[in-house]
Amino acid sequence: MRLAELQARMRNALLEPGGFDLALLALLADAPDQRERRLAVYRNNVRHALFSVLEAAFPVVRQLIGAECFTATALIFITEHPPQAPVLYAYGSDFANFLGSFRPLAELPWLADVARLEWARNEVLFAAESAALTPDQLAMAPPEELGGLRIGVRPTTRWLASPWPIHAIWAAHQPDGPPLETVDLHQAESVMIWRRDGVVCQELLTAGEFALLTSFAARCPLAEVAESGLKSDPALDFSAALARWLNESVLEEPIMDISLPHACESSP
Amino acid sequence: MPDSRNRATLPVQAGIGLRHPHLPTFLAAPQPAAWLEVHSENYLAPGGPRVAALERLRNDYPLSCHGVGLSLGSAEGLDAAHLERLRALYDRLEPEAISEHLAWSTAPDGTFLADLLPLPYTDEALTLVAANIERAQEALGRRLLVENPSTYLRFQQTDWDEAAFLSELVRRTDCGLLLDVNNLYVSAANHGGDPEIVLNALPLAAVGEIHIAGHARVATAWGELLIDDHGSPVAEPVWALLTTTLRLTGPRPVLVEWDTQIPELPVLLAEAERAGTCLRESANALG
Repeated sequence: MRLAELQARMRNALLEPGGFDLALLALLADAPDQRERRLAVYRNNVRHALFSVLEAAFPVVRQLIGAECFTATALIFITEHPPQAPVLYAYGSDFANFLGSFRPLAELPWLADVARLEWARNEVLFAAESAALTPDQLAMAPPEELGGLRIGVRPTTRWLASPWPIHAIWAAHQPDGPPLETVDLHQAESVMIWRRDGVVCQELLTAGEFALLTSFAARCPLAEVAESGLKSDPALDFSAALARWLNESVLEEPIMDISLPHACESSP
Repeated sequence: MPDSRNRATLPVQAGIGLRHPHLPTFLAAPQPAAWLEVHSENYLAPGGPRVAALERLRNDYPLSCHGVGLSLGSAEGLDAAHLERLRALYDRLEPEAISEHLAWSTAPDGTFLADLLPLPYTDEALTLVAANIERAQEALGRRLLVENPSTYLRFQQTDWDEAAFLSELVRRTDCGLLLDVNNLYVSAANHGGDPEIVLNALPLAAVGEIHIAGHARVATAWGELLIDDHGSPVAEPVWALLTTTLRLTGPRPVLVEWDTQIPELPVLLAEAERAGTCLRESANALG
């Protein structure tokens, strides 16, 4: 058998559940009664390695559905969506979508969004550094130019909205978190996650703040960013949000590119 | 192969595998480790505290980058994007040594299986692996050390034994050998062989680094299987085999690996200290 065919057969044998491919077992030189056990060492290694990545990235999902259910679910995911590159920090990016369409867990409609939150935390942990916009830098900008500044959002900042209380559910599963029973499961929540000094931080966003971040990310001029926030939430305290985010290194230095005048109009 | 003579080399002392739980300890204060080895694939993210920690520690310790994902044994050749990632990492870190395994982990359809899978030692595999090693050395601009694997099964199709296969790879590609003494012991035990016979047949002049680690023993219907889990202290027979190895190779950089059930750092450093004693004894024996 050519090496490529052997490797294709082994790939299936190691990832797929059930009995081993008899044609593959027949290629082994070990005693016939030992072959399955020996091949099973590799199947266990593969599953354990990939399972450990998912377990580390989705600790709250694991608590929500229980260790046993998480293991069974993760193993199905691994079989159906094995990694396509040897870059395991990025493995699990489609686990949330998988959970969202996984019928056995349909009675937990918030589960996929909690997984999205955990994946966003994972992305924030590994995202590239970029130059943060500091309060001093903004203070030095000439007042007449402020409204036109196209401030951005750093790659180390993520934000997401959910019809479910994803932040509260997440917090309830942290050490010393409030009990899950106190969470109103019909409360929609938006969350911002960012990295500061190597630590992943997370907080709730108001609708206005969510709109601000989306406009910042589209590199809208600062005046339009403020407008978009106030449109979503007339009670928004724009200056307070901006000051807090500058202190938390959430935002990125402005770019001077004037070829982007309409980039923000297409944003939600 | 690109010239790498101008690069620094690993110190001929005992180092340790640097794992995430020990990063804070290393960042807080200098530790008595002669050199460090990391798994390259754990540091491919574009940013974050782990990458930052390694870049800082790299200034204070000699570094070896041990790849676990290039899949030198892939029948379909190497993943160009992954070579590019490794090249960027190595250009940034300038490690004193880089290594990979005589194994495969990427299937023909591109699926990455996250394990070091065994190869049949055939003429076909030899040609493919040699071509992959040459391509990797060219793309990475460095000489590769290739590690002998621990294996749990063997294929009927065989044209070479493992030691001869490795010798031929060294001859054809001028790669070095990363001699994993624990793997030597585990594989011999799992296939009913004598590790010292394999040891003597290996291309020992090419050994650029030695690994030692713990293994687990698992009961099966026919006897024990040894599993290379790096989850316990180095076993006594492996220490003895290390001494035998160093007598044959002369002193070489030795690394203690510990990857599962990772202990407190002092436990790992004590293992490295014992390896250091073996190294000094081997140097004395040579006079």
